[in-house]
Amino acid sequence: MGDKTDVWQGTLALMILKTLETMGPQHGYGLARRIEQTSGDLLQLNYGTLYPALLKLEQEGYVRSQWGVSDNNRKAKFYELTKAGQKQVRRATADWEQATEILSRFLAPAEEA
Amino acid sequence: MSSSLARMRAFLIRLGRSVRRGGDATELESELEAHVAMHTEAGVAAGLDPAKARRQALMKLGGVEQVRQAQRERAGLVWLENLLQDVRYGGRTLRRAPGFAVTAIATVGLGIGACTAIFSLVNAVLIRSLPYGDPERLVYLFTPNLNLKIPAEVLCPGYGDYFDIQRDNHSFESMSNLVQVRFSVDQRGTTQRIGSARVDEGFFRTLQTQPEIGRSIEPEDVQAGHEKVAVISHALWVSMFGARSDVLEKSLTLDKNSYRVVGVMPAEFEYPFESDLPYGDSQIKSTQIWVPLVLNAAKRAEREPDDNVTIARLRPGVTVRGAQAEMSHMMARLDKQYPGDSKTELGPMRAQWGALVKKFTDISIGPVRPLMRLLLAAVGLVLLIACGNAANLLLARAAERARELGVRTALGAGRGRMVRQLLTESLLIGAAGCAVGLGLAYLFLRLLPRLDPGNIPRLNEASLDWRVLLVAAGAALFTSVVAGLMPAVRASQVELTEFLKSHGARANSRGHSRVQSGLIVTQTAMVVVLLAAAGLLIRSYIKVVTVDTGFSQSTVTFHLSLDGRYKPQQIGAFYRDLMARLEVLPGVQAAGAVNDLPLSNSESIGMIWVDGYPNKDFQQAEGRVITPDYLAAMNIPLIAGRYFNVSDTGRSRTTIINETFAKTYFPHRNPIGGRISGDPKVKLTDWGTVVGVVADVRHMSLEEQPQPQMYGAGFDGDSGSIAVRASIPPATVINEIRTTLKAIDPQLAITDIRTMGDWVSMASARRRFQTSLLTAFAGIALVLALVGLYGLMAFSVNRRTREVGIRMALGAERRDVLLLVLRNAGGLVGAGLIAGLACVWMVTRVMRSFLFGVSEHDPMTVVSVSVLMLVCGLIAAVVPARRAASIEPMQALRTE
Repeated sequence: MGDKTDVWQGTLALMILKTLETMGPQHGYGLARRIEQTSGDLLQLNYGTLYPALLKLEQEGYVRSQWGVSDNNRKAKFYELTKAGQKQVRRATADWEQATEILSRFLAPAEEA
Repeated sequence: MSSSLARMRAFLIRLGRSVRRGGDATELESELEAHVAMHTEAGVAAGLDPAKARRQALMKLGGVEQVRQAQRERAGLVWLENLLQDVRYGGRTLRRAPGFAVTAIATVGLGIGACTAIFSLVNAVLIRSLPYGDPERLVYLFTPNLNLKIPAEVLCPGYGDYFDIQRDNHSFESMSNLVQVRFSVDQRGTTQRIGSARVDEGFFRTLQTQPEIGRSIEPEDVQAGHEKVAVISHALWVSMFGARSDVLEKSLTLDKNSYRVVGVMPAEFEYPFESDLPYGDSQIKSTQIWVPLVLNAAKRAEREPDDNVTIARLRPGVTVRGAQAEMSHMMARLDKQYPGDSKTELGPMRAQWGALVKKFTDISIGPVRPLMRLLLAAVGLVLLIACGNAANLLLARAAERARELGVRTALGAGRGRMVRQLLTESLLIGAAGCAVGLGLAYLFLRLLPRLDPGNIPRLNEASLDWRVLLVAAGAALFTSVVAGLMPAVRASQVELTEFLKSHGARANSRGHSRVQSGLIVTQTAMVVVLLAAAGLLIRSYIKVVTVDTGFSQSTVTFHLSLDGRYKPQQIGAFYRDLMARLEVLPGVQAAGAVNDLPLSNSESIGMIWVDGYPNKDFQQAEGRVITPDYLAAMNIPLIAGRYFNVSDTGRSRTTIINETFAKTYFPHRNPIGGRISGDPKVKLTDWGTVVGVVADVRHMSLEEQPQPQMYGAGFDGDSGSIAVRASIPPATVINEIRTTLKAIDPQLAITDIRTMGDWVSMASARRRFQTSLLTAFAGIALVLALVGLYGLMAFSVNRRTREVGIRMALGAERRDVLLLVLRNAGGLVGAGLIAGLACVWMVTRVMRSFLFGVSEHDPMTVVSVSVLMLVCGLIAAVVPARRAASIEPMQALRTE
């Protein structure tokens, strides 16, 4: 477990949004687990940091929440993507891909130069 | 939704959450509970025992308390919540000390109110833009003449010169002439004289203004035969035509002639206002009607200045100096080109007509700028004094709260937080003071029309607009920070060990701090400066209103203008008849007519040549044409010779001169029988004989020395003023006069009915305005400073109760204690007085232009200010001193 990475500033929101997009409505715990799994357990995530991030997304209107019942019949708060949230996922994804694309050109071995 | 919109949405939600307080902490609580439970279940399912699984879940969560904290910070706006908490706390503490709160708020309110009121005035007069396009490019064009002993801004170029300048100049974008005129207009059964102007086709273009309805004066209107059209003001449209939209189909009757209304100007356009023209018609406060200025060929070629006012707009990029250079050059050329007709009175002056280009704003606003600056300086001092007071109150309060603050420090309150808390309190006081101040400023603006001296431009437009509100808020913030910062910082510097050592009672046992004393001394000094300034103005005002005007102030006067039904040759007889009828009215002693009353801002100046005197060129005297009994009606004392009688009105050329004339031109000889003529080159044979010498009359202004004056009998103008002296009250005389005039001709327009005392009052109105305002501010400042002194003394006595108790126990008399406090107060006031007088000595120089008949170092003012300050200071200190003297030693010693 020595090689786990902390979540980079600003990427958690995108991870949450993307996870919600693929999984549909989900509660906080489920989201946390899923994010950890998706990262292949490479990510060191304090589950607690998820809640302020969710609150921020909710205030910004990208997600909405409502109380529901979990698989094991437990009352939990479920988050789901709004229309604005879906748009935001596309926008943020595009931004992120562009950023990594640019960076990868710098990092790739200089073949043609 | 764009991301900035999303951020905005988030901010609003957090803002709402902060203001609402409370919020749904329980929701997060159950959410976290569910989270932990689910995580624990998962752990148990993986084979851990429940306790261990739960511990792991909590660890993975990162601490419930931290999550709660993070969530709280995200949910609302922490800084706002802290601020609201401070405000609520501050509000509570202020409510618990109502005496302190009321005094502080009233003090700050007075200071801010004074500032706001005067700024609203300055804003209307100096800052707000004028409705004339870019007013900075508007200039007046004058032709001063060195040989005429009149101000340079009286005459504008003659029409002939004007048209040449208009054709040839490169400085002006457009030029215009206007001539002021008063029209008789019948309105609701009474005849009124309405301020109007004849204007040429360039007038509205030069002023860059458009009618709100209809059109302005066009080139075809100024052709003879087409001139019966009028543009009216918004105010007249409302009052005469009920703001009806069909006004353009109406006409109005001006001096018995019908004019078609072709346009209505916007509400703010009433140019020229009285203050817009340097030597305009003082009877015209603002202009309501504009009609075409028609010039016949002879007028258009006339080279002598007429009664026109020339205004022009500079081309972009042309400076006043540039225009001045071009105009000087042009006038010099015109002077050479048209040497002038030596047969006319002004003809011989032709070679000397100069040019003077003056900015419109310098004429209109220039004269009141110093007054506005003086008032601003005065209210600035008042505000500073209010600041000082508030600071002193806060310092005293901080000292009283030393215990509370000490305890809070001991409990771990941070210094920054304490300063912020105390500053919040002073900001609250500032905000409340701001509200009080705005209320006071509003009252002041309601009162202002009654103080209006009539010659401060746009004074009546003063209002609380956004600029004024901004200044009020700024003043409040300034006061709060200046007054609050020092006490806050000092109070937060509680030395914890000192505080604890002194059993938590008093960390500082001195009576009052040097800072507080320093504030009182400074305040006193500022008050002394204000009092001295007010004192000097009051002394000047008294000098002005008690100046010997040379006429009786109880004389009733009115203006009369005869319309076209009166032929010139009938007018003399008309006046003779009128005077005869007026003089037989019960109680009337004398009645006479004159072309221009004293102090009415109209003057006629003539060239004179005195027989038997070493004459020089261009000697001038003020001239008045009167009917014989005018001098008696005005009660102008006869010094030698006789008044006029009926025999003087005919062809005989007799003249009466004033004392100054006699002293100047008949030194060491008897003026009676002396001969005076117009300029010798013109009519040397046309001698008039002096038959009497009368006292000097203040014609131009109350504050200027009388010039040589001469009177001629035989007034027969179609527009003049009548003076009636009676032994009965003016109101009764006025009624009788009205009845008499109605009997003679019910259509006669009589206006401006007032006593000469009213004229004097109008002439001194500006002085009264500035004197009363400055005196009011000095009074407010004095009261504020005394409140401050009283507060400090009361506070100090309170703190020294124990000390006084010991002194008395050791044998001090009550009188000694009383004197101790009074000496203390006297020392502060004395120090302030000395500092203040030193300032007065240095700064009253700037007031010289406001003074009349007193030196800026007037000893009487200095002495009375000093006495007033000391006496008031001692009065303010007497109550606390008596309280100190009434302290019971035993009780005092037991208080701690």
